[in-house]
Amino acid sequence: MPATLTPDVIALLDSAETVKVLATVDANGAPDAVEKPSLHHGGDGTIHVLEFLETSAANRNLTHTIWYGGSISVALHGADGHRVQIKGRPVKLHITGPLFQQHYVRARETLGDVDLAGVWVIEPDEVIDERFEKVRAREDAAHPDFIHLDRIAV
Amino acid sequence: MVALLKEIYRAEPSFDEVLAKHPRFPRLIARKIDVQRRGVHYTEAAEKAVDPAVHQLRSPYIFGSRDGEIKPLPESLLLRDGTTILVDPTPLDQNPYVVDYREGRFVLVDGGEQLEEVDLWPKPVYYDKLTTSGLPMSHIVSARPQRLNVFQSSFCYFWADKEGCQFCDIVTHTKQQREEIGVPNRLRPEDVKETIAEALKEPGRFTNLCLTAGSVTKGKEIFDLEVEFYIELLQAIGENFRTKKFPSQLIASAFNEKQLARLYNETGLTSYTTDLEVLNEELFGWICPGKARQVGYQGWKQRLVNAVDIFGRGNVGTGIVGGVETAQPSGFKSEHDALQSTLSEADWLAARGVTTVYIVWVPRPGSAFRDQKAPSLDYFIRLAQGLQDIRASHGLKVDFDDYRRCGNHPDSDLARLQ
Ligand code: SF4
Repeated sequence: MPATLTPDVIALLDSAETVKVLATVDANGAPDAVEKPSLHHGGDGTIHVLEFLETSAANRNLTHTIWYGGSISVALHGADGHRVQIKGRPVKLHITGPLFQQHYVRARETLGDVDLAGVWVIEPDEVIDERFEKVRAREDAAHPDFIHLDRIAV
Repeated sequence: MVALLKEIYRAEPSFDEVLAKHPRFPRLIARKIDVQRRGVHYTEAAEKAVDPAVHQLRSPYIFGSRDGEIKPLPESLLLRDGTTILVDPTPLDQNPYVVDYREGRFVLVDGGEQLEEVDLWPKPVYYDKLTTSGLPMSHIVSARPQRLNVFQSSFCYFWADKEGCQFCDIVTHTKQQREEIGVPNRLRPEDVKETIAEALKEPGRFTNLCLTAGSVTKGKEIFDLEVEFYIELLQAIGENFRTKKFPSQLIASAFNEKQLARLYNETGLTSYTTDLEVLNEELFGWICPGKARQVGYQGWKQRLVNAVDIFGRGNVGTGIVGGVETAQPSGFKSEHDALQSTLSEADWLAARGVTTVYIVWVPRPGSAFRDQKAPSLDYFIRLAQGLQDIRASHGLKVDFDDYRRCGNHPDSDLARLQ
């Protein structure tokens, strides 16, 4: 059952101001984290990411994940400080067809003489609010013993 | 024969049983192989959902299909990882996979179980256009999801000399295409140039061009005339590009160094493939008698190796009809021996800069091998992995013939992770 992207997460995904990072792993478990300004909401609860290079680590790792299973992570940091992590799985790669062509044309209009290797579709499994106050509140509630004593000393 | 085929597939270990023996082999690529091996049948619902304005229907192809018919059915399929499956419609009684249309999606079904969502190939815009000479452009240049195919002529002199390759149905199919849909025997360079110019207007649609045809043995030196045809055609195509070289593959006869140098220097061609078809000298003599008599197995191999000096490592390849080495009565009796022999030859070639790719052998009704039985799914999986491992171990690329630029080789699909 895919996780739902709430309107605030969709807004974060679709904002040009948001810092967007895609983290994947390769066949040996080696991580790769790259900024992906092209990450955006696919309009149907999925996330789309444009891959410009056929042999980039992210493209190979996404291929590895769609073939063998596993998950990837998307980290978003909005201009207003909103931070979210989305864990998910690549479920489809468009290498041709209307969606691919639409992105190809738009990418070349906005970025100049670039190519497009594919448009990955990511289905979200979990959306985690990563704002520090939220993370800390969750940690405090779950593990009240994890505290330096000086913090509670009189 | 039909009943026999059905029995063959039913008596085999199941897809999951085979895959369980190959846990590191991608399931989607194994599925592609199996679909190619067994073919597909489109249900009535699927046929109704095909939209000729959006989906690419079967266009003229150099080789025939296993239903022996030319019908307006979808050209082929795409899996969700971008893998292309080139597959023929196959009569139901041969136990093919089924393509159905359910809840607004095309799906692949086997034994009643829905396995994968699939996409039909999108139709290129130029398919609706005519050349100035009045021919449908789809008859001049056919499309794959990302490649343009130019089948320059579907006539082969080896066939004419009754020495055609035994798995090949090129001439039977040519006659049928000419009679039923009016496909020209030989393409005119100006029609090809015009069609490609039109195709290139569609942004993001094509990444390379592939030219092929039957062998033309005529000329002062063997194949001189064939080389002449290709040079003329490639030069005409080249007028569509502002760079001297354009990503392209020529699959042709085994040319000598002078002919190869001409092709490289006088055209925009970037890669060269000449098919050995089967990597065994004795079987080559039996399966490809024309090639064997006129050039010979060792000669063919040497010409491939010589081509590396001209086109560069990673830009020269040979295609084999995977599985044809098990054809009887002269082929290998055991799949194990067939695989060992094939991979050792592929390794020899790779060490010299030549990459080997395979297509899944489907005994076609129009070929001499129509009553043969192709090997098991297990064999095709081992062959794909073996060829890719060899490529990787020699640091050879296969960019010109990969999942996207071609899509018909399970082994080069695996190169996506190389
Ligand atoms: S060379 Fe062999 S495979 Fe190629 S067209 Fe001629 S007969 Fe067919």
